[in-house]
Amino acid sequence: MCERSENKGVGRRDFLRLAAKGAGGMALVMVGGGHSLVSANAVREGGADRRGPMEYDPSSHRYLYVIDIDKCIGCGSCVRACERENDVPKHFFRTWIERYQVSRTGEVFVDSPNGGHDSFEPSETGADISKAFFVPKLCNHCDSTPCVQLCPVGASFVSPEGVVLVDDKRCIGCSYCVQGCPYGSRFIHPTTHTASKCTLCYHRLVRGETTACVQNCPTGARMLGDARSLGDKVAEIVATSKVHVLKPELHTEPKCFYVNASREVR
Amino acid sequence: MEHTKHIWRAAFLLIAVLTFVIVGRHFLVPKSFGQAGYYRYDALFEHMDKEPRHGAPDACADCHDDIAAAKASGKHAPVQCEVCHDVLSSHIKDGDKFADMRINRNWELCAYCHQRLVGRPALIAQVDIREHLELASGQAIPAEACVQCHDKDAIHHP
Repeated sequence: MCERSENKGVGRRDFLRLAAKGAGGMALVMVGGGHSLVSANAVREGGADRRGPMEYDPSSHRYLYVIDIDKCIGCGSCVRACERENDVPKHFFRTWIERYQVSRTGEVFVDSPNGGHDSFEPSETGADISKAFFVPKLCNHCDSTPCVQLCPVGASFVSPEGVVLVDDKRCIGCSYCVQGCPYGSRFIHPTTHTASKCTLCYHRLVRGETTACVQNCPTGARMLGDARSLGDKVAEIVATSKVHVLKPELHTEPKCFYVNASREVR
Repeated sequence: MEHTKHIWRAAFLLIAVLTFVIVGRHFLVPKSFGQAGYYRYDALFEHMDKEPRHGAPDACADCHDDIAAAKASGKHAPVQCEVCHDVLSSHIKDGDKFADMRINRNWELCAYCHQRLVGRPALIAQVDIREHLELASGQAIPAEACVQCHDKDAIHHP
């Protein structure tokens, strides 16, 4: 007996200690996993409690965002509205505008000075520009989003309506999601040090209002629709027009659709 | 049964570990976590609770119905009041005015939309501000250059 325990690296006490650690870890995983699975099913079967400031059922909406590039004048009203509505810190953007200028030889010049917050200066590319246009950008609220998959603490999530949100009480500011977003729509907030992004003005949607950027767009280039609302005009555009999504090759399934987008738009 | 005490020890350890895990989870995992998915469900309601700053599209007309009517028949009809002024919450609290609404008379506000730019669609009137004012090169644009001719009546009802 003594001989054997001297020869072997692991004694009975050590073994029990290790086993206890292992069992504890397993139990943690099993209890955690089982718990969330059961609850998720309960919600899917209609067990979700409907709390909130007003009568609002998240599961009866599915928001779509449509941008008509031919209507965007690059005025920056949306960027300024977003800043005021959501306390976006200076030089950070939840939505921004890019100016694309394409020369006859195929050179593409893209600029977005201060995110288009103060509109644009007359261009000085020096090239023979054959087409130019403004492209508003924001979180694409992807159905299959990399940011939520990357979050190690479950702080990024997709709401029942399909809106990608951040739980800033849970976010640890690791910025994996900032790096993982293919559209560059997230940033680490300079004062809270948590991930921040477009919420699709969730606080306005639940009150039956549209987003600040859509409401303040003077030309109607930005539109918000609801695919679960019968006869919704914006959902109809997505259903019947030739719409484009950004970086379709990544299969992120964005809910932000572009009308009249040129091939240069990334 | 000389090994009974070993079984008891193992059983005791298992119970101790399980208790530790269950109690630990109770304190470490937020209450609503996992209720609708792998996130804290209460976070959704925290987002809902935030108060909007911009008013409803027709909110300004509740008090300023004369200006709203004039604006509705003019070319600036599709432009929300808050685009050029400020958010409603900077002016109204609980239905009452508590501060003056900002009036921005700077030319830059007009230039955001009306400066002629390559790529700006011809949906709206556009001028090159410097050309339009016939300024010499290097001469600064006066702050209230636009409103000197296009006054507030012209803006609300051009």
